[in-house]
Amino acid sequence: MKIAVTGKGGSGKSTVSGALARHLADAGHRVVAVDGDPNPNLGISLGVDREEVETMEPILNALLAAGHTHNDPTPDPEDLLERYGLDAPGGVRLVATGKIERPTDSCLCCGSHMTTRQFFGELRDDDRIVVADLEAGINDLLWANPGPDDVVLVVAEPSAKSVEIARRATEIAGQLGVTRIIGVANRCTSDADVARMTEAMGGAEVFTVPEDPAVERADHLGQAVYDLDSTSPAMAACGALAERLAPRRAKEPSPAG
Amino acid sequence: MSEPSSDEERSPRDEWLLDSLARQAAVMAGLAATARTGGPDVDGSLDWWGLDRQARRFLRNLSARSRGPAAQRWSHQLGAHRDLLTGYKDEAQGALASAEPGAAAEAEARLGLRIAVVGKGGAGKSMISGTLSRLLARRGHQVLAADLDTNPGLAFSLGVPHTSGGLPAEAVEEHGGAAYGWRLRSGLSPAEAVERFTVEAPDGPRFLPLGKIGDPDKTAPKHTLVALLEVLLGFGDPRWDVVGDLEAGPTTPFERYHAFADRVVVVVGPAWRSAMTARRLLPLVADVPTVIVANRFGDEPDHPGLSPAVRVPFDAEAAKAERAGLAPLDCCPDSPAVTAITALADHLTSPTHQEVLT
Repeated sequence: MKIAVTGKGGSGKSTVSGALARHLADAGHRVVAVDGDPNPNLGISLGVDREEVETMEPILNALLAAGHTHNDPTPDPEDLLERYGLDAPGGVRLVATGKIERPTDSCLCCGSHMTTRQFFGELRDDDRIVVADLEAGINDLLWANPGPDDVVLVVAEPSAKSVEIARRATEIAGQLGVTRIIGVANRCTSDADVARMTEAMGGAEVFTVPEDPAVERADHLGQAVYDLDSTSPAMAACGALAERLAPRRAKEPSPAG
Repeated sequence: MSEPSSDEERSPRDEWLLDSLARQAAVMAGLAATARTGGPDVDGSLDWWGLDRQARRFLRNLSARSRGPAAQRWSHQLGAHRDLLTGYKDEAQGALASAEPGAAAEAEARLGLRIAVVGKGGAGKSMISGTLSRLLARRGHQVLAADLDTNPGLAFSLGVPHTSGGLPAEAVEEHGGAAYGWRLRSGLSPAEAVERFTVEAPDGPRFLPLGKIGDPDKTAPKHTLVALLEVLLGFGDPRWDVVGDLEAGPTTPFERYHAFADRVVVVVGPAWRSAMTARRLLPLVADVPTVIVANRFGDEPDHPGLSPAVRVPFDAEAAKAERAGLAPLDCCPDSPAVTAITALADHLTSPTHQEVLT
């Protein structure tokens, strides 16, 4: 299964993606987390060390540094995942598509967007779950180009701006042929918050993630909420979402014995 | 590198580049004609400053753009354009040197602000841009408030319907050499576009968001983007403030959406990732002086290396306005957040903080 996570900047995409990936991994699934943001920071929500998040080299940057041009054949995504991914806590494999660091970084047009598209489209998902945390806004959702077999998670917090963007993302996901569109009403404090989101999502299923001081605390520290308190209200809600998307698997015997 | 000898060898990208230079030249000619008819007083000096600053903006953008194969192929034309802009800048400086005593300095203090606002998603860019635009308008400034985000945001904070405005189809034309395939229609000047296609927000700022033309497809959200950037960069009226609210993250500064600005406001929240984002953004806007604004801080300490010029405190009233999609000035004009943004307007308009463009 592939899950594309979209929504307004600051709505909690990375927080939800990170928590979801960790919950899925803990539930016995193999999980690949794709950070599609040119300002990569999903590692923080997965529990990767801050320093490591700062220094990890995304695919696009690594390829450009190695002299790869857009005329070269596109490398195999599995190979890229192997080479440029890192193992996050809980067994999640994390990879970032591209990072903009300097005004001179070239070839953005077919850079991180293309990498996102390629990753989302070509990564195998027969025996694992891919969670892709996309760049804010709807542009990257169009690039990721999810289809009928994919899940689109639309994250919004209860502000008018965020809900309006969720409305647009839902429309676009529908136009792309996605049938499994699920809303995440983040930081909700009232039923009215949830109702607004449900209305904007055109009746799609909406999961509620409550306002949670643990999230704010983790955010200030630059840490994963999951590691700070995996049973806090927001994390428990993400756990329920994980269970809804992919039920817990019986532990397989480890090949190592 | 040798220059192509005939038109057949020009790619759409080449056409776009050369046409852009011609359009810039037209903007400069217009500003110069106005300045040359003015007197040596404050008002006349303001027009000379306008010419000077517009030449500097175009020159700065030219430096940033003078990479890549097209730029190398047309290095002769780019060099001639640089000379043209430098000539205008020198003419303006000469006129200002011979203005009435004190007139040039007073006119410089009256020059309109040109502000681009950047930051992580959710940092509060739109709230600050919208409130700042209205506060400047209340001080008697003419203000152009542009939303450079494909998602609506600034409209809410300005207090205009989020479906309003935007460059219409008649303001753009398809061009194979323009990023995303569209540009400002030829014959439509940036000043005319501001005149015709903006809508008035409460307190008077003129609001210009991205257009909504085209069916939702791979490019529709950005159909009018290049045209809007052309309007902002080429709108050289020295009496107007321009505030541009950029889409979150590093992509927009990388694509030089901030080229129109003389200063960049970097909004940073108390979260660690917000600070990381701000640190990543700073090198991307290093060609323009920056002002750091801390938003929604409670009693958290400043982030290391990111000393804010202004602190906008966490404010329950402003947060309620955000939830409701209302402009803070309409529902909580006396809130601490609005007071702090008033201080930001003071800071930006204060002559002691005016930094000269290089």
